[in-house]
This record gives sequence, structure tokens and C-alpha cells, in this order.
Amino acid sequence: MNYLDKTIVEIHEALLSKKVSVLELTKEALKRAHENSDNAFELILDESAIKKATELDKLPVPKDNYFFGIPYVAKDSFSTKGIETTGSSNILNGYIPLFDATVIKYLNDANAVLIAKATLDELAMGGTGTTGHKGITYNPYDASHEHMVGGSSCGSAVSVAAGVVPFSLGSDTGDSVRKPANNVGLVGMKPTWGLISRYGLFPFAPSLDHVGYFTKSVEDSALALNLLSKRDDNDATNTYHKRDDYFKEVSKDIKGKKIAVIKEISTSIKDPVLAKKFDESIEFLKGKGAVVDMVSMDATLLSTIYPAYFIISCAEATSNNANLDGIKFGPNYGGNTYQEVMYNSRTRGFSPLIKRRFVIGSYSLMSDNQHDLFLRAQKARHMIVDAFNEVFKKYDAIYLLAAPKTAPKFNEASDKLSDTYLLADNYLAFGNFGGFPSMTLPLGFKDGMPFGVNITSKPFDEKDVFDIGLALEDFTNLKGLDINMKHGEDK
Amino acid sequence: MNFEAVIGLETHIETNTKSKMFSSAPNLAEQEPNTEVALLDMAFPGTMPRVNKEAVRKALRIAHALHMTIDDTLYFERKNYFYSDLPKGYQITQQFRPIGRNGYVEIEVGGKIKKIRIERIHMEEDTCKQLHFSSYSLLDYNRAGVPLIEIVTMPDIRTGEEARKYVEKLREIVTFADVSDGKMENGSMRCDTNISIRPYGVDKLGTKVEVKNLNSIVDIEKALDYEIKRQSESLLMGIPVIQETRRFDEGKKETVTMRIKTDAVDYKYFTEPNIAPIKLSKEFIEDAINTCPELYDQKLARFTKNYGIELTDIKILLSDKNLADYFDECAKFSKHYQSIANFMISNVLSILNKENKNITEFKVEPKYINELVELLENKEINSSQGKKIFESVVKENKSPLIFKKELGATLINDESTILDIIKEVIKENPSLPADFKAGKTRAQGFVMGQVMKKTQGKANPGVANKLIVEELKK
Amino acid sequence: MRAVNKEVLKDAANRLLFDMSDEEYNTLLDEFHIIKEQFELIGKIKGVDDSTPMTFPFEVTIDCLREDIPEKPLSKEDALKNAGSVKDGQIKLPKVL
Repeated sequence: MNYLDKTIVEIHEALLSKKVSVLELTKEALKRAHENSDNAFELILDESAIKKATELDKLPVPKDNYFFGIPYVAKDSFSTKGIETTGSSNILNGYIPLFDATVIKYLNDANAVLIAKATLDELAMGGTGTTGHKGITYNPYDASHEHMVGGSSCGSAVSVAAGVVPFSLGSDTGDSVRKPANNVGLVGMKPTWGLISRYGLFPFAPSLDHVGYFTKSVEDSALALNLLSKRDDNDATNTYHKRDDYFKEVSKDIKGKKIAVIKEISTSIKDPVLAKKFDESIEFLKGKGAVVDMVSMDATLLSTIYPAYFIISCAEATSNNANLDGIKFGPNYGGNTYQEVMYNSRTRGFSPLIKRRFVIGSYSLMSDNQHDLFLRAQKARHMIVDAFNEVFKKYDAIYLLAAPKTAPKFNEASDKLSDTYLLADNYLAFGNFGGFPSMTLPLGFKDGMPFGVNITSKPFDEKDVFDIGLALEDFTNLKGLDINMKHGEDK
Repeated sequence: MNFEAVIGLETHIETNTKSKMFSSAPNLAEQEPNTEVALLDMAFPGTMPRVNKEAVRKALRIAHALHMTIDDTLYFERKNYFYSDLPKGYQITQQFRPIGRNGYVEIEVGGKIKKIRIERIHMEEDTCKQLHFSSYSLLDYNRAGVPLIEIVTMPDIRTGEEARKYVEKLREIVTFADVSDGKMENGSMRCDTNISIRPYGVDKLGTKVEVKNLNSIVDIEKALDYEIKRQSESLLMGIPVIQETRRFDEGKKETVTMRIKTDAVDYKYFTEPNIAPIKLSKEFIEDAINTCPELYDQKLARFTKNYGIELTDIKILLSDKNLADYFDECAKFSKHYQSIANFMISNVLSILNKENKNITEFKVEPKYINELVELLENKEINSSQGKKIFESVVKENKSPLIFKKELGATLINDESTILDIIKEVIKENPSLPADFKAGKTRAQGFVMGQVMKKTQGKANPGVANKLIVEELKK
Repeated sequence: MRAVNKEVLKDAANRLLFDMSDEEYNTLLDEFHIIKEQFELIGKIKGVDDSTPMTFPFEVTIDCLREDIPEKPLSKEDALKNAGSVKDGQIKLPKVL
């Protein structure tokens, strides 16, 4: 047993009582990072991490700062000053930011120890963990490397699931934290839009982008939100809404909470193991005093969540990545005209997948098409958000399986758009549409692979998400789950 | 056949805030390249815009001065295109919801007041500066992100003269409102124009031609006059006008083809998702407008009422806001308003004109002008002494009282001394008293001239004059 | 809506200043069939065209205006540090016509 396998709360306790030092934790984290065979890291920062850890051990451990001395990993789309940040794209090879993203600054100011930058689907545009320039990132729960971890926050997910660190930063635009969390049994949290500053995070689609993160327990997740949600003037979409003390206020008491299960999504899940476990969890929640109802929504509307998300995000992405031209930063291949310089950089720097995404985005923004495609997708977004807000008028939270099955295998899914469209696999983007706080946490195991549930609530109602999640941990017994923890198997 | 020109003007004004529109980099002109750049200006990934409060206040002032309907919520859009001087690959602008709509400005043409309607005014940001060499170009990001205000007229303008007057009026407004120095020569005010012609009485608009590269207000008038002539001649010969962009060639004083207009570029405008809409309270808007420095008409009214100086003199002083401000400073110290005005117009302006300088480069403290005028008013010095002292004051920016002492420029005030000299002159010219009594006033001036000669110009002219008249009457 | 063929897609790509291989255009053309179906799903929502486009997740104004206080800019070295082609303290490009 190593302290690094514990949750943040437990590690903090151990640091306070001097059972472990920051340097010991950091060294172990770095060792595991180097030993990891899932291709989860862009850069491992041995020198700076050891230096910081050594300095920190000279200081007293502050009782109220849980992040002191905690090793962490950041998705390589968060700007880190003086440390190469590539977005897992060749177009940014060698780019060294001159500044830290706000959340990086908050973590560093709290004296957490950054030990590595994690891989992602290129520029966060993907969901398979296969399109980053370092190649495929694998699922630590499958040594044969047949199952994917998903994306786009693939490396961040692996770093916590594989027990390298107890906390990692990711981002969630359609489900890029909450889906991988399902695939590797983690608590993946995406808070309300505008709650956590996005300053310094490479933008994919700002109206959908959220900073998200991975932990092994709901408590840790609430702790992290306290630190990360501090108001930041640098982000003109960062809300002035009051922040709660999420950690102090989280409670297992869910008596009287009204929870909705969306019928159309839930009934589309055919896997008997998952369905059974999900039903059992509902009984558990009812047993704790919650009211759990099947609620019906318009199936046509629900089926447009993913297409609308796809168009809006691809369209916004074409604009957000227009600054990548090899002129100010990134490899410059030269050319005879300035257009050629840009063209060479972009043609060589972008991978085929995101080029296709950009073309779709460009196409849907063309003035001929904008009305039918982009604007209509934005209208659909409006209607979808209105429909969910209707549900939230009567219910505190929506509760569903996070995905129709455990982590897909590589040969089942590809980065190409496919016909086989499952509502249950593609609904999580509603959380981005409406900026709803949304959290995935592990529910059980099937054939050695974890699967999870998702809890979503209305804007700024993180408390209900955390409370229901905390209560569920008593049912799942998967609090603190990572690859090193022994767990049961569901049948 | 007579043609009517239909002209619209689009003007960009660099706002003189201390920092840029969306970043906090200093907004300074003419600095060493790439020394006034913030992270956002170079479009590093993950950087985000923050709207400059003062830029908004200044835009509100202009919107108000142009009688626009003001939108109390700020929305921004992205104008997406690729160009070497556009770091983000898009410009943040206000396409669909500009801060001001449907206003107007009044100009005086041929003795009549004409209203030029203004369609819109909005905020946006400037691009990089490019320096072009034979085989390469260099990019300077200092200007990237500088706040711009764009003002677009309705096509109400009909002649080059009207266009000139319109731009002059705009310049007057933006300089008086302290929003910009409005200089086309250094790029802080830029104009593009579009013009079409049609036979009088016809509603249908002709083919529109865009004219760019207008580097001065004079150029605007010349370019439009030329275009009207060119298009008229073309149509009279039966040759249709081509839709194109032309540039003004300053040397030839003609417009020449720059590029044939192809389909409009698709800018794929969409809402800027990194700036949530910003509601401006009524108080904020009112405060911005109420704290606007005096505009021309307000100054004219005040100068007329409080100073009571000649209207032609007021107009000269108000021709430049800084000149008007300088006058206000001088006027603080004394009540000899007309004398101060006279002095400024004859002496200060002539030095500035001679050295081709602007009042902002005039380093003399207003109170020194005052002291000098005071000395002249009290007849402690005469006008030629005044001129000499003024030269020294301009050179060293020190009090005229110092130079007065140095020059030993104390006038001879003593009556008996002056009387002696007058008597000497009359003795040398015995016919003078008789001439004077016979109505020849030249005699008076002659004696004065001789007195000045004999005293090296030091005689107090007021005293001398009085005594001369008394003596000549005898 | 403009018809989708290789030329249209190539134009869309070129407008974003990049190109793809023929193979990739073919893959994309295949994807477009699926996309088209998904687009049409959106068209099927009753009343979608009467709805208003949504840009932000909720009705929000964030009244944050920055005070006009200039801050220390990047040093020239830092500003140009990441650029591949620099001359005379500026970024160098082939002659822009």
C-alpha cells in the first residue's frame, strides 16, 4: 500500500501527520508515470517536480490546504509557463507558453506538484483517445490494449485511473471528462459553465468548453471545486455567482431529493448487467429517501443532441484554431507567400481527423448553409436546453448510466462518423449545451471493465450533484477506486 | 445629362485610451516594434479578451455626439478571415448589434445646413502594422488590438466638398471629445469611401465603386471629384462603370484600379463566445456622456458668453481644440480676453506657423502669455519690446518679467525726461505745432517716432503720447 | 444548402488554409452522408425554425469591464521567442502583396 493510492483527503492527513513526505509522493508519482505503458503523457516533469517537492518539505503542511504537496497531472491543453504545451497536435510542437492557465496558477499557488502533461485527442476535438500526435492512449484496465479510454481527456483519465496521481485536470466540451471517467471508473466532474476560469485553456468551442477534472472520490471532487472555482477577471465569461464551500457542505443526506431518470435514454440501454446494476442503484437512492421518477422527453429532440453539438463545436473550432498558422508560434515551414506559410503549417500540422472536423465546421458556417446548419443547430440547442430546464423545474437532478456499455474496443468504434447511433452513448453533451453541472462516477464492473453513472443538475446546483454522488458511494463501495484497488464484479 | 453622385463614407478612428481594446498592453504610437504587445495581441492559445471600460465610454460619447440610438447591452461578434496582419484569424467587432445606430451629423454647405445620416457606430480592434520590403514583409504587433471606432454613413453625401466637410466635422467631434487626435496623416483616422452615380431623378443606384488609400482630407475631396468625373464620362460614352476597388494615387491625383470586386468575402460572423454580453447601466451611459469634454458648439457658446471676444477670433481659437484649451488656461489668469486673443493670434500662431508646429508642441506656460499681455496692457512695455521678450520666453520658457528686467526694458515713464525729449524734437522741427493745429495729425506720429528713436524705443508710449499732444497744442 | 461534392469540400478546406489528400476527401464525403442524415434530424424537430439561436448556455450578462490601466507588456524577446522567422525585432514573412 502506498499513500499515493489514497484520495486527496487521505493523503493530506498522511502529510499532516508526517506519515509521508511530499518528495516521497512525488518520486513515486514520477516513477509510475515513467512505468505507465498506456501512452498517457506528453511530458514528464521530473526535474521541476522534484525541485518543488524538496522545497515544500521544508514548509509546514497547512491544515486547511488539502492540495499542498499533492502530485497532479494537467491535460496538455492547459498553458503552463515555460513548459511545452502542444494540445497533442504537431502544429504546436515546440510551443512554450509565456504564462500559466488560471487553474494551473491556482494549483501551483496551493503548492500542488505538477508532475506531467497528459495526452489528449488532438486539440480536444475527439472522443476516442486515438488522435493525439503521440498516438493511441490506452485503458489501464485492459493490459491487452483492446479497450479505449475515450477522450478527449484520455491522458488525464489514465493518470488518475492508473494510480499515478490522485487528481488531474481535463476539459469537457461534449463529454470529454465524463465519458473517459465512465471508461476508467473515475469521478469525472464538469461544473456549471463559467464557474471555473478557462483562461489559458486552449479553446475548442468556448460556448461549450468547461474545465473539468478527475478524482477518485466525490469528496475530493468537491474539494477541487473549492480551489478551482475562484473568480477570475481574465475570463470575461467567468461568473460573479456566489461560490459555495462545496467540500464543507457536501452531505449524504438526500432525503426528499427529486431525481429524474430520462426514459428514452435509459430504455435504450440493452446491456443486462449495466441495466440491472442501475436499477439496483435506483432502489438504493429511494431507500435513502430520494424520489426517483421515470420522466419522458421528446425522443426526436434527444436524438439531435449529438448532431447539434457536432455542428456547433466544429463550427466554433474553425474560428478558435484560426490562430494556428506557424507565424507567431509552432513550426514554420516557410513558403513563397504568407498564405503558403500558413497553408504549409496547417496542412502538415493538423491530423486528418480534425481537418475533417474543420471542413464540416467551415461548411456549416458558409453563408449559403449557415441558416440550415449552424443557426439551426443553435436553435436546436435552445430547444434542448429549454426541455431539460423543464425537467429541472420539477426535479433536483437527472440520473442516468453514463454510457450504454463499458469502454468500447478499438475495432468497434472509429474516428469516422458512423451510422450506429445510440442515444445513450451520445447524450452527455446536453450538460454542455445548458452549462449544467454534471458528474460521472463509477457504478460497477463488468468483465473487469468499469462502468459509471452520470448525475446532472441545474446551473449552480453543484450541491445536489455532489450529495447524490456522495450517497451513491455507499452503494458502490468504489470510493477511492483506481487500478490498484480491489473491487467486485457485477453480473 | 447630369449625374447625381451617391456617396457613403466609412471612417475608422483610433481611440486614445491608455490600454488596448481587449488587452492591457499600452496603447502607444510610434514605439519600437513589438514592445507594446500583450499575450492576447499575439493570439497565444488560451488567451481571452477583456473589454476596455474607457474605450466603451469614449464610444458612447461619440455615439451621443452623433445623435445615435445607443444599445445598452454590449455584444461582440467575430469577423473570420485569414490575413498576415490578423493574429487571431478573426477580428472581434460588433457586426449585428453595434453600440449606436441611426444618428446624424450636420454640415454647412453653400450656406445651408445639410444632415448626413449615420447608419451605425461600433467598436472593434486594429490589426498589426506591416512593413514591406522588396522580397519580404515584417510584422509589428504594437498596433494589434488598438481600439477602433467605426462610423458608417448612409449614402447621403453628394459631392467631394460634402465629404470633406463631413470628415472635418467628424475630426472636430473626436478631437474635442478627446477620443482621438483624428489625424489621417498618422493613421489615427482612416476613411474609405464608396461612390456610384445615377441620372438625376432616377431612384435606382448605379454601380458602386470603392475608393481606398485616402491619406488626407484633401485627398478625399479630390478622389471623389475625380471619380464623379470619371464615372460620368464613362457613362456618357456608353461604357458601364465596373464594380471594383480603386485606390487614390496622390501623385497623379487620380483613382486607379486596385482590384476587381469579386463575390463578397464570407466572414462567417458569429457571436464572440469568450465575451458574455455586458449590460451598461443607465448611470454608466449617462456618466460617460456627461463627462465628455466640451464639443465645438458648446465651446463656441461659452466663449461667446464668457469672453465676449470677436466671433472671427473665437473661430480661429476653436479651429483646434488644443488651441482653445490653451486660451482657457491663459484666460484663467486675467480678464483681458480680447488682448490675450489678439496676442495669441498674432504672435503665438505666427511662430507656430513659421516653425510648422502645433500648439501641443508650444512649450510656453499659459501664465507667461498672461504676464506679457499684462505688461503690454499696463503700457509698461511697448509692442516692439513685447516682441523681443516674447522671443526669449518662447526660447527658454521663463517668465517675461525676468526678461523685462534683463533687457533693462524698463520703460522711461518719467514725464519730465520724456518732456525734455519732446521739446528737443519740436525745437528741431519748429513747424510741427502749427501743422498739428492745422489738422495734420501726421505731426503727432512724427514726434512719437523721433521720441522713440532718441530713447531707443524705451519711452512709455502712453505717457509720451499724452505729453506730445499737450506740447503740440501749445 | 449547397450540394456536397469533392470540389465544395476542397473549397471549404482551402478557405481554412489547408488541404487534405484525396483519400481523406473521400472519407469525408462518406462521413457527409451520415452528417446529412443527422442534420436532417435537426430539421425534424417541431418548431425548430421558430426558436432563437442560443450562443451561451444560459441568459447571462457578465458586467465585467476592464479599467483602462496599461500593464507591463511582453518583452520583445518574449513576444518573438516562439516565432520561427524573425528579422529586425519583427516577424518576417514573404512579401505580402
